[in-house]
Amino acid sequence: MVAPADISPTSDSQKLARARQIDARRKRNTRLYLLLPGLVIIGLFGLMPLSITLVYSFLKPGSYGGVEWVFSLDAYVQFFVERDIFDDTLSPNWAYISIFSRSIGLSFGATLGALILGFPTAYYIASKPAHQRNFWLFLITLPFWTNLLIRTYAMLIIIRDQGVINLALMNAGIIDKPISILYTDTAVFIGLIYSYLPFMVLPLYASLEKLDLRLIEAAYDLYASRFKVLTKIILPLAKPGIVAGCILVFIPGLGAYITPELLGGGKKLMIGNLIAIQFGSSRNWPFGSAAALILMAVVMLALLLYVRHGAKGARHG
Amino acid sequence: MNQPQDTTPAISVRSLVKTFGRGAEMITALNNVSVDIRQNEFFTLLGPSGCGKTTLLRLIAGFELPDQGEVLLHGKEIAHLPPHKRPVNTVFQNYALFPHLSVSRNIAFGLEMLGWDKAKVTATVERMLELVKLEPLANRMPDQLSGGQQQRVALARALAPEPRVLLLDEPLAALDLKLRKDMQLELKRLQDETGITFVFVTHDQEEALTMSDRIAVMSNGLIQQVGTPHDIYYAPETRFVADFIGDINIIRGEVNSTSDGSMQVTLAGDLEMTLAGTASVGQSVAVAIRPERSHFAVVGAPETLSARVTDNVFFGAGTNIHLMLNNGQGFIVRIQGQESGCKPGDTVAIAIERDAAKVLDN
Ligand SMILES: Nc1ncnc2c1ncn2[C@@H]1O[C@H](COP(=O)(O)OP(=O)(O)OP(=O)(O)O)[C@@H](O)[C@H]1O
Ligand SMILES: [Mg+2]
Repeated sequence: MVAPADISPTSDSQKLARARQIDARRKRNTRLYLLLPGLVIIGLFGLMPLSITLVYSFLKPGSYGGVEWVFSLDAYVQFFVERDIFDDTLSPNWAYISIFSRSIGLSFGATLGALILGFPTAYYIASKPAHQRNFWLFLITLPFWTNLLIRTYAMLIIIRDQGVINLALMNAGIIDKPISILYTDTAVFIGLIYSYLPFMVLPLYASLEKLDLRLIEAAYDLYASRFKVLTKIILPLAKPGIVAGCILVFIPGLGAYITPELLGGGKKLMIGNLIAIQFGSSRNWPFGSAAALILMAVVMLALLLYVRHGAKGARHG
Repeated sequence: MNQPQDTTPAISVRSLVKTFGRGAEMITALNNVSVDIRQNEFFTLLGPSGCGKTTLLRLIAGFELPDQGEVLLHGKEIAHLPPHKRPVNTVFQNYALFPHLSVSRNIAFGLEMLGWDKAKVTATVERMLELVKLEPLANRMPDQLSGGQQQRVALARALAPEPRVLLLDEPLAALDLKLRKDMQLELKRLQDETGITFVFVTHDQEEALTMSDRIAVMSNGLIQQVGTPHDIYYAPETRFVADFIGDINIIRGEVNSTSDGSMQVTLAGDLEMTLAGTASVGQSVAVAIRPERSHFAVVGAPETLSARVTDNVFFGAGTNIHLMLNNGQGFIVRIQGQESGCKPGDTVAIAIERDAAKVLDN
């Protein structure tokens, strides 16, 4: 009646190994199914257009828009260097490079501005009692209820020469000539901060809300001044939120289209406008594609550097 | 050798009042609390949940400001100082370790904030790690530690800046029984070695009795009694203290006559004893007697209470014999082992040890 094979240790450990295998496979498969819908969307509407863009950037422009199916590196060459029409000599093309660096500068400035404005806001909300926080978060998300285009037009009306701000200042006798803000870098800068501030506040709030207030008390108890509590405890612990917020503001800011178009008046171009023009009036799809890809490369490079540096920083504490 | 001892209390709390909220929802967390905590003392605040222990600790640490009263540290008023200006450190109930700093950086934090120079910080951190036996874990992050290890880090972090007073808010509450016992001994050792005044909060009476030099029993924002563990256990002054600490028999007595600080009291209408205390003749008083300080005697012997056995309850280290006195009140006698030699319904006689009966204030 006894079946010694069944109770021998080898067979038991074999069974356990089998069970482990099955368990591991089950866990893997479950994850894959969960991932699938997202993968399909990203593949279809993310990677495919990206591939098309990549292919187009290596073609020649068609005369009425579109592309001609002839391989060419002209788009990239044109971006960086200028070919003299008379003697074919090459010189760096500062026009595009300066649009790029202006965009990076503006977006960086707006990110910094949003961080400086957003941090106290997020901290304030996070320190409110739980039932009041939702109200404040609602206020933060309120702008999303209206289209960005309309909000930007509204801003235009406020800051233009005959706008609310200038009229009020003139009526109060503080200035006698309107301050020109509209169609300057300042206007674009303010517009960017305004448009993307919620994207800064929300992740900041998310990480500040998790912050254990007892840690702050512990730091005070260990002789930290208010400033030290901020720099040694609150900021390091809010770092994930700060990084997320900065990425969420910097990247869309860099590719912003509506804001520089309306508030910069089409004179102060950012990369987004430059790219849009190539697909519109300039009818140079390959060049637009190349510019878009260069933008992407720059962003990815910046992120890569940041993540590398960030990871190192975290390890060293 | 014969230097006069500095007898200024390490902490002196005078008439502290602290309320939370306003109007109908106002809670009086501390209701006129005064207590002196001596230097180098292991002082325990003991009381049920919500009695104001944490509030008192937070007032000493500076996280809350009192409504009234003063807090003196070695004779100097500190009630107005912010926490980071008080030479007092806290071990928090949840440890509150900085999650982004390693064990040694956590311990170094207070020292760096005080502006100690690097070499001294490093040396102190090493000494602290050794003291709490955590040298091998110096570079771990807090989330890689067990509860007991985190607890030690919290201790080391609070001890490192050499505070005059260390406040500990139920530091052992989250630990399992075995670890808890080990840590109790360890805390006691640390206190001996460092000579720092410890103010320790717990709601565990056994913990308080084993560890403390003196205990303050609190209830409802009031200090009920301050005394050595022995005093608190054997000479409770109020009904609350008697009830809160260990098992105790509280029986009725009638005052027959009084003389200068002592009185003749008839317990349960049965046994007349001379007890310390003052009350007026004919008054009814509550008398407390520990179960282990009463014993069985020969039935009918003089100076005994007679009672009927209702139950035997074995609890491991001994047995509690539940009895009913002549006046209908319950009474427990504790014996060693399991053999009580009596069964429910038996009539027995109880002899009470000398000085074991204590008249309660109310
Ligand atoms: N910040 C606060 N706001 C309102 N009420 C409070 C606050 N802090 C404490 N209390 C109240 O004060 C009383 C005393 O609280 P405290 O925290 O001192 O109790 P405790 O003795 O430490 O209790 P436990 O053993 O449960 O920790 C309680 O009734 C509590 O509800
Ligand atoms: Mg408490």
